[in-house]
Parts: sequence; structure tokens; C-alpha cells
Amino acid sequence: MTDSHAPAIEAIGLTKRFGDFTAVESLDLRVQTGTVVSLLGPNGAGKTTMVRMLATLLRPDSGRARVAGHDVVSEPDKVRRVISLTGQFAALDKNLTAAENLRLMARLRGHGRIAARTIAGALMERFDIEAIGDRVVKNLSGGERRRVDLAASLIDMPQLLVLDEPTTGLDPRSRQVVWSTVRDLVAEGVTLLLTTQYLEEADALADRVVLIDHGREIAAGTPAQLKARVGEQRVDTVVTDAAQLERLDQALSASFATSVARDQRTVSVPAPNEAADLTRVAQAIRESGIAVDEVALRRPTLDDAFLALTGRPVNADLDGEADSAHEPITHEVAR
Amino acid sequence: MNATTISPPRAVRNSRAHGARRYVTDTLLLTGRSLRSIPRVPERLLDVTIQPIVFILLFLYVFGSAIHVAGISYKDYLFPGIIGQSLAFGIIGAGVATSSDMTEGVVDRFRSMPISRLSIISGQVMGQFCEALLGIVITVGVGLALGWDPHLTALHAVELVALMVLAIFAFTWTGVLFGMLVRSPDAMQGMGFIIILPLTFMAGTFVPIAGLDAVPRAIADWDPISALVAAVRSLTQGYPSSGSWQLDHPEIAMALWCLLILAIVVPLALRRFNRMLAG
Repeated sequence: MTDSHAPAIEAIGLTKRFGDFTAVESLDLRVQTGTVVSLLGPNGAGKTTMVRMLATLLRPDSGRARVAGHDVVSEPDKVRRVISLTGQFAALDKNLTAAENLRLMARLRGHGRIAARTIAGALMERFDIEAIGDRVVKNLSGGERRRVDLAASLIDMPQLLVLDEPTTGLDPRSRQVVWSTVRDLVAEGVTLLLTTQYLEEADALADRVVLIDHGREIAAGTPAQLKARVGEQRVDTVVTDAAQLERLDQALSASFATSVARDQRTVSVPAPNEAADLTRVAQAIRESGIAVDEVALRRPTLDDAFLALTGRPVNADLDGEADSAHEPITHEVAR
Repeated sequence: MNATTISPPRAVRNSRAHGARRYVTDTLLLTGRSLRSIPRVPERLLDVTIQPIVFILLFLYVFGSAIHVAGISYKDYLFPGIIGQSLAFGIIGAGVATSSDMTEGVVDRFRSMPISRLSIISGQVMGQFCEALLGIVITVGVGLALGWDPHLTALHAVELVALMVLAIFAFTWTGVLFGMLVRSPDAMQGMGFIIILPLTFMAGTFVPIAGLDAVPRAIADWDPISALVAAVRSLTQGYPSSGSWQLDHPEIAMALWCLLILAIVVPLALRRFNRMLAG
């Protein structure tokens, strides 16, 4: 059976190429049982490829990975027994109802007809989807599908739950619902590997964050450690007239370490003292007499993390093949 | 946030249900899944029934008025042809369904679950088989309603059903293979239109092969669908065909074609499926 002392995930030098394109390059990952680890990175960073290798859906080109002590290549069946993967796009049969999906998954996991019905009922109650249980999945909203999807992942409480971008494309309210569900699971002791494009999400849910890009690890640590390196808060100022950008930069650089995003007409400065720094920026702008559209305090995003940790913006050279970019890159700017 | 204990899996898959039994159970469950989606996606069934019905109406009531086939009413000449064509269209139906289904996230979930891998493709084939069978039943029903008059002995009826089941099986596997290769329903539709549609037209389906020009006739002589159509026509109407060897012995030729197709397509489909798994 499962070696209870083995880490939930132990991957060493995992590599996957698609033709000439290296999706994941020599990536190490260790997830201790009972913890939440987040793989954070932009579209095309290799997150999905990594997750699919761990879930036995893709064979690594080199490197080794063990899930709960079982090798993903030589013992895939044992891995599949302890892992539950919720992919980026709802892994449900869209022509079946929510309840039919849950019952089918339960039966495929070896439960009898009656047991499957009981399990599906309990999960629907728990995820508050009883009202939509008899609706065909293709007619559900994105948030509703996600909840059914999560429920399907928990038919047999997995030792390791893998969520691939669980909130990408969801509205903020549905995102909150998913987050609170994930927090409940974590409280029950589920080991979780979570991929996300949102720094905020990794911060909210993970014990440990691994930042990856182009299939390589860029940084790793607790959210607090990463944020300490990235900077807690920033104040962004958008000038009305792009020609005034240089002047504003000069005005602010007297007392701040500025960075300029020319195409967004924005001068950004770190604001560890939050409101106090915001006031100082506003003061400096007033004294300079430069017209601005917006001055805003904002929390760091994935872009900031990349800039701080790699010195270059996210997706400096864009390649979406690895994670099969189904949607445009959207980076939430939390204001 | 960290919990020291973790609840064990509530039910690790029943260890009794190994090997063959597990394969059968999983296949039945996945076949059930496919069947359940038939009433939910009526347009898919419509795809395999509306086309034959359009051809029936066009040829019976439009072109048919100008076509005369010696020794048989055009209605009785036409319906076996329509059935042969519908059997071949099963490739397109299964291909379209497979290309959209196999790229869905749900197949990923099945694959990450401790189920028999082979059951995923078996379930797909079984589901598509039943859907194609239903399509044929509807087409035959429309034919009978419009006055098609097959003269079947009990023996011929058994032979006909056996051959049709074999053909549906062969074409379903072919469609499943193509569906995994093209991975887009539109591409599958396009391929069906360019390759399969002309082959069904040159198969003595609507007009006798004997009257064709040399080149289409050479194709028709060895078109597998010609054997199909000729076999159905021979069994249902006792109407003989002749020309190439396969037209002189249509029932045997039809069975041989189906077995040959299965012998080629099944290993390729399994290989393709395993490749998809290995990524």
C-alpha cells in the first residue's frame, strides 16, 4: 500500500519536450503531505504539463516523479488511486447532468449503484449543488461547473488533490466560492497542488509557492517570503499626457524607486507604508503640477513578481504552446 | 493550515474487480455514458438520419423519375443503396463524435482514474456502434414507411443483420480512428464530404455501375461500398450484380472487406489511443 512517510510529491529533474519546444525543463518539486503548494506562472509556463506528468497523463522525457511514494511511470495505477486531478477545463461529461456525472465517476471508482447514489447525494449537499443536480452540465455556468468538478474530484477523498487553474475565467464571486471550498478541504488535511496565474490566489491558499516560467523554477518560498521580495504594495500613477511621463518619473524618483510602464502611461513605486506612501505620491504629483488620470494603491500581481524576481516582465517572449493557451493572457490588477 | 492526519481513501477500488471483470464493468459504464448523451444531443443522431432521408426524397421523387433500372422498381433498387450509404456514413458520425469527445476534459479525468484504459476506447466504440445502429433502424423504418418492399427469407434476414452489424462495427472503429487522428469535428466533416460521399455515390447506390464510364466504373468495381450495396440488394431483393469479383460475390466480399478493415483499423486505433495516453 502507500508509504505514509513518503512526501505527497517528489519530482526530480522532470523534463518534457514537445518537438523542439521544451515545456518543462529539469523541474524539481517536493510537496509534503498535508500542505498546499502552488505552481505559479503565466500561460505557457509549463504548469499544466507538469501537473499532467504528475497525474500520469503525460510521460516525462527525463527525470523521476513519485506521488505518495509511487513512481508515475512504472506504477501509474497506484498513482491514479491516490490522486485526483481537476483539469483546467471542467472534466465532466457536458451531456450528462451534474448528478449523473457524479454517479458515473463514483461507479467507475468501483462503488455499486446504491453507494454511488449516496456518495453523489452527499457531495451535492456539501457543495451546495443539489438545486442544479438535474441540469445538464453544458447548461451550467462556469462557477457551477467548477463546483461539480470539485465534487467529482472528491468522490474518494484523495490523498493528493491537484487543481489546475481552478479559478481561471471565473467571476470574482465564483472565485470566492472556490477558494472557500479549497480552504475547507485543506482544513480537513487534504494535500493540495494548485496551479494558478494569480499571485493573489497563491497567497490566499498556499503554504508554499513555486514560481515557474518557461518550464523552469524561478523562485520558491512561502507567500510571505515571495511577497517580501516582490514588495507588498505599490502605488501606480497614470499620467493624462504621455509626454509628461518623464517629468513625473523625475518628480517621483526623488523619493521613490520608480519603474515606468510606457505603454500604460504609468509610473509605479513601491509602497510598503501603504496609505502613507499614497499620500506622499499624491503630494509629489500636486507639487509637480502634472495632470494625472489615476493614482491607485494596488497589491502585487504576477507581473510584479516576475519583474522583481527576474528583472523582466512576464511573457517577454510569448509562447503559449505548452499550456495550450486557450484564452488570452489576463492578469488581474487588484486595485 | 497543516493537519497531521489525513483521512484514508474511503474506498480503494474493490480488489476483486480486477482484469477482465473490471474491463467489462468499466466498458459498460462508459457505453452507458455515450448512450445517455444521444437524447441530449439530438442533432448528432439527426446527422446520421437526415442525410439518408434527404437522399431518399431526392432520388425517389426527383432524379428517380428519369432513372430506369431493368428488372426492378426504382424504389426497391434505391433503398438497399441508401442502406449501404448510411452504413458508410457511420464513419463520419463516429468520427465527429470521437473527435469532439476525445478532446474534452472528461476523458482526461477518466484517464487519471484507476479504471481500465482499454475500456475508454471500448466504451467509445460501443456507444458509437449503438448510435449508428439506431440511425440504420430509423433509415430502414423510413424506407418501409415509404413503400420499400424487401423480399427476405428468414435465412437472408439473419445473414443481412449479421452483415450489417459487422459493417457498422467496422465503420465505427474506422470513424473512431479517424476521429482520434483529426481531433476536430469540422475536419472530420470535411474529410467525410471529400472522400466518403463520392465513394458512396460511385457504389451503384443510385444508378447501376454497368452504365458508368471507364474510370468511375473501375473505381466502383473495387469500391468496398459497392460490395456493401450489392450485398444488401442481393439479400433483400434477390437482385444480382456482376462485374468484378466482389460484385459477383457481394455477400462474401462485404464480409471480407469488413474483416480486412477491422484487421487494419483496430490495431491502428489502439496504437493511436495509446499514443494519446503517452503524450
